[in-house]
Amino acid sequence: MKHWEDFEVGETTELGSHRITEAEILAFARQYDPQPFHTDPVAARASLYGGLIASGWHTCALMMRLSVEANRREQAAATGSPGLDSCRWLKPVRPDDVLTGRTEVLETWPSRSKPIGFVRRRVEMRNQHGEVVVAIVGITMYHRRPALEAAAS
Amino acid sequence: MKYFEDVQVGETMRFGRYEVTGEEIVEYARQFDPQPFHLDEEAGRQSLFGGLVASGWHTGAMFIRMICDGMIPDNATAGAKGFDDLRWIKPVRPGDVLSVESVVREKVEGRRPDLGTVKVESRISNQRGEVVMSLVSLVLYRRRPAAASRIGGQIDQPGRIRSEPGATTPGAG
Repeated sequence: MKHWEDFEVGETTELGSHRITEAEILAFARQYDPQPFHTDPVAARASLYGGLIASGWHTCALMMRLSVEANRREQAAATGSPGLDSCRWLKPVRPDDVLTGRTEVLETWPSRSKPIGFVRRRVEMRNQHGEVVVAIVGITMYHRRPALEAAAS
Repeated sequence: MKYFEDVQVGETMRFGRYEVTGEEIVEYARQFDPQPFHLDEEAGRQSLFGGLVASGWHTGAMFIRMICDGMIPDNATAGAKGFDDLRWIKPVRPGDVLSVESVVREKVEGRRPDLGTVKVESRISNQRGEVVMSLVSLVLYRRRPAAASRIGGQIDQPGRIRSEPGATTPGAG
């Protein structure tokens, strides 16, 4: 189990990849972000974006999915997030783009009141051309190592 | 239709009514955020949250849905560059009813003649008036068509944004 104490500033984690389909883009957008450039391939061609693009909230959701899977692989004791410092949707995400995530730990600090600690990290998703499509700086909470386990290791 | 020129710093918009269900919390979490406290009431009770709670990104998705239904129809927006200072302040639980209050904080002209960026601070509250999430969105607004016609009617020309050197390419929103 990876606890808060096990995160080091500068460490990076590959989050893996996801190919986003047009069907996924349309399904997410119809439910949550029904703007024409997310829901209508024809209208999208005449928009600022020149074609159908994913909702930025969809791209972030996929980043979350990859992060959860990476936490599982590392058996990291994640317990939610208080928020993000910033999020930038830098390039449009289009059908069949392959998005690959990567994180870097920027800072860690313990909670003063709970048996948890905080990790500030930068997370980026790149497309198959190597372009960063979304970049966030966010904070994740992790459980601290139990005292007994800490004493034994 | 409200264009960039019409947006006033300090103006407040209120909109939205989003009823949160346990089914939708679990459906979203299965797709995008499968952590136990977003998937299962019992697992939620044993977590820091004391019950099933929505993924914070799900709250963000509900927020953009309220924006789409309540704000975008009257505003000449063209997506967003992103956001700053997002805070998940209180858990969102089944049965919560969310709404949004947005205040215009700043207008930024930028390089593009057809677009401007508006910084909008939004607070998403539940039925008890508790703020559950807040953020500052960087919303792209189109400028008035009169202004666009003076630059040759090139507004909305596909591909233009990507060929303009140094211009920020908006991603989505």
